Amino acid sequence: METVAVIFGGRSTEHDVSVVTALASIIKPLELTKKYHVEAIYIAKDGSWYWDEKLKDISLFSSGQIQDFIRRSNPVSVQFDGGMKLVKSSGMAGRKQVKKIDIAFPSMHGTYGEDGALMGLLDMAGIPYVGCGLRAAAITMDKVLAKEVASANNIPVSKFISLTKRELEQNGSEQLKHIEKTLKYPLFVKPAHLGSSIGISRVKNDTELRNGLEVAAHYDDKIIVEEAVNNLIEVTLPVMGNDEPIPALLEKPLTNPEDFFDFDTKYINGGKKGKGAKGAQGYSQLPADLGKDLYKKAEQVGLDAYKALDCSGTCRIDLLIDSKTNEVYFNEANPLPGSLYAHNWNKAGVSSVELVQKLIDFAKDKFDENKALTTSFNTNYLKQF
Amino acid sequence: MFKQVTSLYLPGYARTLVYMLQSTEYQVEPYIKWIHRTKNFRAVSYRRELAKTKAAQGLLYALRLGILIEILAGVALIILGINKTIAGGIFFGAVVIVIYPFVWAYLLVVPLILGRYLVSKPQAQRDITTASQIFKDHPATKIAIAGSYGKTTMKELLLCVLSEKLNVAATPANKNVSVSHAKFAKGLNRDEDLLIIEYGEGEPGDVKRYSELTHPNRGVITGLAPAHLDKYKTLKAAGEDIFSLADYLNNKNVYVYEDSSTKDFIKKPYHVFNQSGALGSKISDIKVGIDGTSFTLSKAKKSLKLKSGLIGRHQVAYLAFVAVLALDLGLSEEQVISGIAKTKPFEHRMQPYELNGAWILDDTYNGNLEGIKAGTRLLAELKAKRKVYITPGLVEQGEETEKVHLEIGNLIAKSEPDLVVLMKNSVTQYIEKGLKDEGYKNELQIIDDPLDFYVNLKHIVAGGDLVVMQNDWPDNYV
Repeated sequence: METVAVIFGGRSTEHDVSVVTALASIIKPLELTKKYHVEAIYIAKDGSWYWDEKLKDISLFSSGQIQDFIRRSNPVSVQFDGGMKLVKSSGMAGRKQVKKIDIAFPSMHGTYGEDGALMGLLDMAGIPYVGCGLRAAAITMDKVLAKEVASANNIPVSKFISLTKRELEQNGSEQLKHIEKTLKYPLFVKPAHLGSSIGISRVKNDTELRNGLEVAAHYDDKIIVEEAVNNLIEVTLPVMGNDEPIPALLEKPLTNPEDFFDFDTKYINGGKKGKGAKGAQGYSQLPADLGKDLYKKAEQVGLDAYKALDCSGTCRIDLLIDSKTNEVYFNEANPLPGSLYAHNWNKAGVSSVELVQKLIDFAKDKFDENKALTTSFNTNYLKQF
Repeated sequence: MFKQVTSLYLPGYARTLVYMLQSTEYQVEPYIKWIHRTKNFRAVSYRRELAKTKAAQGLLYALRLGILIEILAGVALIILGINKTIAGGIFFGAVVIVIYPFVWAYLLVVPLILGRYLVSKPQAQRDITTASQIFKDHPATKIAIAGSYGKTTMKELLLCVLSEKLNVAATPANKNVSVSHAKFAKGLNRDEDLLIIEYGEGEPGDVKRYSELTHPNRGVITGLAPAHLDKYKTLKAAGEDIFSLADYLNNKNVYVYEDSSTKDFIKKPYHVFNQSGALGSKISDIKVGIDGTSFTLSKAKKSLKLKSGLIGRHQVAYLAFVAVLALDLGLSEEQVISGIAKTKPFEHRMQPYELNGAWILDDTYNGNLEGIKAGTRLLAELKAKRKVYITPGLVEQGEETEKVHLEIGNLIAKSEPDLVVLMKNSVTQYIEKGLKDEGYKNELQIIDDPLDFYVNLKHIVAGGDLVVMQNDWPDNYV
């Protein structure tokens, strides 16, 4: 039986969302396949790694006992000699527990996880892993780069400007003027690398713009400012697969354009502003009621963006639609959608168990393809020295 | 072995014993049998917990007190032995302590037996005598319902539809034995137009006793299937007991669901209802969906279009009978249409709900072969991308166990599910064989931990799935 390591937590503002994704949507369904040994690897907020059966229990996190666990446990070290091995000191006569990992299932959102950092590590280890590779993860997690790549592939994007934190600090007024000259209000101001709607503002005037830029710069060193799409319909499309991506269902959050999803709306209030049922994305229209032609068009833009961004495994593509002109714009991509967007896949006819199984299969296929590539060749170059 | 032995001395042992007694409905014989076959008392109370009723809590306190006294007595003997006050005190004290789990497992039933014979039974007998007079004097029409299955459904349907016009009282939930009938009688106001009394047969002679207690003037027999065969031994014996209701009514005003199992018991004066008609009316145009069942009921040139929230073709015979009886009892057509429209699936009886986009038909309260026939027929009839059938099998099938479960396997295979899930127990092998004999080739899963499976069902199903989930296998069955 192969061993799958589900890696979650991490040094990211989306640490908590990552825990929920791993425990609610990945570990249990993986265990239910009865095909894998599933190991839970938790990366604490300080970056230390832990490996323990107890980490599969959500109450350890929801009760706050995780801090006691961290205090009492020894972090694990990771070896990369011929694959990936976890090494844990058992505390008994210096004995060590070693576990070889066959497949990694990253459940990391945001920095040091979803952004390609973890994928790079797993590439170096030489084991298959679920989801986008380093390149796609790095591009999709940079909202500016993602839009530039989409645009270069003739996928429509809304008008945008990017600036760095340094530029803002050194030359704030000029930047503000440039933005106001180039783009029309209302605007969205976002940290370029963060997901889960953290640090995002919708601004309608220069005062709000200044504040929005300040908030975004607090979280990231790169900021994107986008023009809002008129007559907006916001939809999102989870996609999975490698060379032949499969779409789930287009989903439409049922909020007003001005009430775009911030973190609390998305994850704490179950998708509703104010009180609502618990759970991510609990308030949406699924499938989105767009009419047959517009639905098809939006789905195609989503699939085109998935391919253009070189995604593999899974990714969620967010789209903006102008309901009057029926123009569909690529907005952003999430290489690891919260809770794998299992609710959407379930509705589309893919159970949570099938979903994780398919993602593992895609990971293996991608790994086999990459393994077949030549990565070195002999030269006489060194002989001249 | 170590775990098994230590399970006798755990603090939760007393609670486990009371739980076992409660799960067997305080019946001594099944409780003792369960005790004998249990190896590890840790694993007994797995799917459910002790319900904290007064009786259970009283027993638990008494048991804990008894155990404590015995342990203290053992300790006292050991001390006296150490002090050489009693020769062999250490040995006897140790024995007293070691044997307490065995002693109290049996002693627990002593107050129960005494209480039953000295207090409960005489009191119940007095209540029953009083109730018999109440029923006899009550001016209402009294409809008794007997049968191996479908009694509660029939009762609820009659109650729902007839209440559109009449003042109807019915025995609550599945309270259907003499003691419950007596309690029901106590609560009557005498102004009711109609009483509906459910008879829960369990052993030969039950239905005759219920009839003599409740004095019905109409009787409905809902069907015959292998149930409680531990006591009845044969289906014929069960049928004879159920049809003793007709004997009590001198074969007048007897309404019987007609199928192959009841056919031999039906006499000429009985009124019958079946899948094609009820009491002379014909059923046609049946449509079954996840949202309910519709059909047309016609007699001579008159016809009535009816729609119920109940799901399944098998429900139509009962619904048609209730509609015709309601008309016979003076309800208008509008009242019948409205009453039938209000009928909804009962909890855990062909109850539909959506889970992650999949439709689940929860029929876990079903406990008989007829229900399985209906469930598998429904699975075959409804359209779905993937069809799943889940069952642990049927308990209490006595000598018919193997035969019944081979047939269940055949029925499941004929409904052509994409996935069959069986909860592992003593009957699984027969269902498996039945599936194989009928040529079932799709996926089969056998589950060791039913609780874990049901909890995680949400991870296994998805949009387009139809899951029929039938029967329950309580902790006290192997």
